[in-house]
Amino acid sequence: MSLRRRLTLALVAILSLFAVNVGTHFWGSFARSESMVAYRNSVTASQLSAEVEQLLENQRQQTLVLATLRDTTEDQLEDEELEQAISDIESIRSAIGRLGKLSIGIESQFETLANSSNSLLDGWLEFYQNYNDRDYRSDVDDPLPYLEASERLAELEQRQAFIAVQRASIIDRTIALTDRITVIGFIASIFLTATLGFFLVRYTNRSLKRLKTGTQRIGSGDLNFRIDNIDDKGELGDLANAFNDMSDKLRNAIYDVRRARDVADEANAAKSIFLANVSHELRTPLNAIIGYSEMLHDELDDTREVDRAQFQRDLDKVTLSGRQLLSLINDILDLSKIETGKMSIHCETFRPGELITQVCESLAPLLRDRNNTLQLPDFSDLPALYNDQTKFRQIFTNLMSNASKFTENGYISLSGGPVAGREGWYEFAVHDTGIGMDEEQQKKVFDAFVQADSSTSANYGGTGLGLAISREYCDLMGGSISVDSAPGEGSTFTIVLPSDPELAHADA
Amino acid sequence: MTDQKPILLVEDNELNRDMLIRRLNRAGIEVIPAEDGQQALDKMVSEQPSLVLMDMNLPVLDGWTACRRAREDDRIKHIPIIALTAHAMEADRLNALEAGCDDYATKPVDFPGLLIKIGKLT
Repeated sequence: MSLRRRLTLALVAILSLFAVNVGTHFWGSFARSESMVAYRNSVTASQLSAEVEQLLENQRQQTLVLATLRDTTEDQLEDEELEQAISDIESIRSAIGRLGKLSIGIESQFETLANSSNSLLDGWLEFYQNYNDRDYRSDVDDPLPYLEASERLAELEQRQAFIAVQRASIIDRTIALTDRITVIGFIASIFLTATLGFFLVRYTNRSLKRLKTGTQRIGSGDLNFRIDNIDDKGELGDLANAFNDMSDKLRNAIYDVRRARDVADEANAAKSIFLANVSHELRTPLNAIIGYSEMLHDELDDTREVDRAQFQRDLDKVTLSGRQLLSLINDILDLSKIETGKMSIHCETFRPGELITQVCESLAPLLRDRNNTLQLPDFSDLPALYNDQTKFRQIFTNLMSNASKFTENGYISLSGGPVAGREGWYEFAVHDTGIGMDEEQQKKVFDAFVQADSSTSANYGGTGLGLAISREYCDLMGGSISVDSAPGEGSTFTIVLPSDPELAHADA
Repeated sequence: MTDQKPILLVEDNELNRDMLIRRLNRAGIEVIPAEDGQQALDKMVSEQPSLVLMDMNLPVLDGWTACRRAREDDRIKHIPIIALTAHAMEADRLNALEAGCDDYATKPVDFPGLLIKIGKLT
């Protein structure tokens, strides 16, 4: 449940209790005042009854005395006296009428009283109206009507008193009830407020504590920490979810940054290794150049005669080392160009067979040096290619000179032709019967500055960059290069090239 | 130094080997050549040279391994070794010293400096 809903609910509950209290108070007041009015009526009625009883009693005494006087004397009553008596009787009648108005709830009892009192009063009225008429025979001394009326009055009075007592007890009960409801409501309000407050604080505290723990854990680097135990679908739950989202994103971001850093570190390390290798490779020919130059300088200083032929041979060694250094620098520049993506290809139409023959002719001295036999097939059937012929020549020069360098008294054979099932693709292979390589060496043979054995550079010359460059060139030309070899059994380098680099893009 | 025992030069590059032999001879030092690490160990045992100049990138057995083996062999472990390599980084120097070399010279060789180093160790 959300925090807002909890708060609203608590507020509604407290307000409801408050409303109950206020309602109870007003209901109590209303009930009390209503009962009070009824009680007051009853009391008034009771007093009025006593009054009426007294009036009836007095009137009866007066009537009986006058009736005796009338029977025994000839005295007449003055008109004035008669009117007085009649108005007394009427005032009794009106008092009884007032009593009737107060007799709420006991109308039937009042009715019987009214009937009996009316017949009594009517009797008395008749007596006074005919008092001076000597022929009139009165029956006012008959006690029955009076007794009945006073009995009814007594009954009514008793009833009124009973009702008054009843009302009073209702008032007491109402007061007690409203008091109890007020106290209970008050206590319930306090209890409810305290309980709600306690739970609200405890629950909010618990959630906030978890959030705080989470923040601290994330802050201290534990990016896998998740807040997973907040039983809230409201604001705090949302906050926890947002927090977890943030942690995920943070972790991913840091993961990405770390990966990027690792990649950069690797690239940096590779660069450092490359630099170290470059430094190493440059120093080897420089060692010969500087060493021979210094030596020749020392020899010229010598007083002994200089052997001119030896001197020339030594100078040739300096030149050779210088050329080696130059080709090494060129290779490094080429490789750097390739790696920075600045090496482009220039396509033109050429006949690969002619190019291969030219390369073989230029390498003839190297072949002779090591007493190798070249087996060159007829390439005149090969169609023209539209690709980079300078790079093609470079690749073949590298492969052929490698084959010559690592083979002695052996055979070097070339082959070329279309790739079966792939129209427009051609395959060229250079096979030798030289020292060969094991599988470990084959895996690394196309890496920069790697020769199968670290000493081969010294034994066989070369920069260790030729095959790396050849592989990059094959890539640029849309093709690939591979090697198949075994130690002591020679090597076969195979290149597969499209007749047009566009063909490779179309295939991809 | 002329009356000293010869020193052993281990270098697989023919040009550099010949050049160094000739320069050392001119400086009055007799030199026994070796072309790889295994040859170097064999000649250290048989010829007991006064010092070894050892290239590190060697065929058959590389210079670091050869140094380590020489230091484990009671017959030759007293012979001082100067590493001679085109690896010019600080780590390479430490690698050579760790392998048991007594000193270290970088190619291209500073010849007078090399003679001083040889003089110190013989």
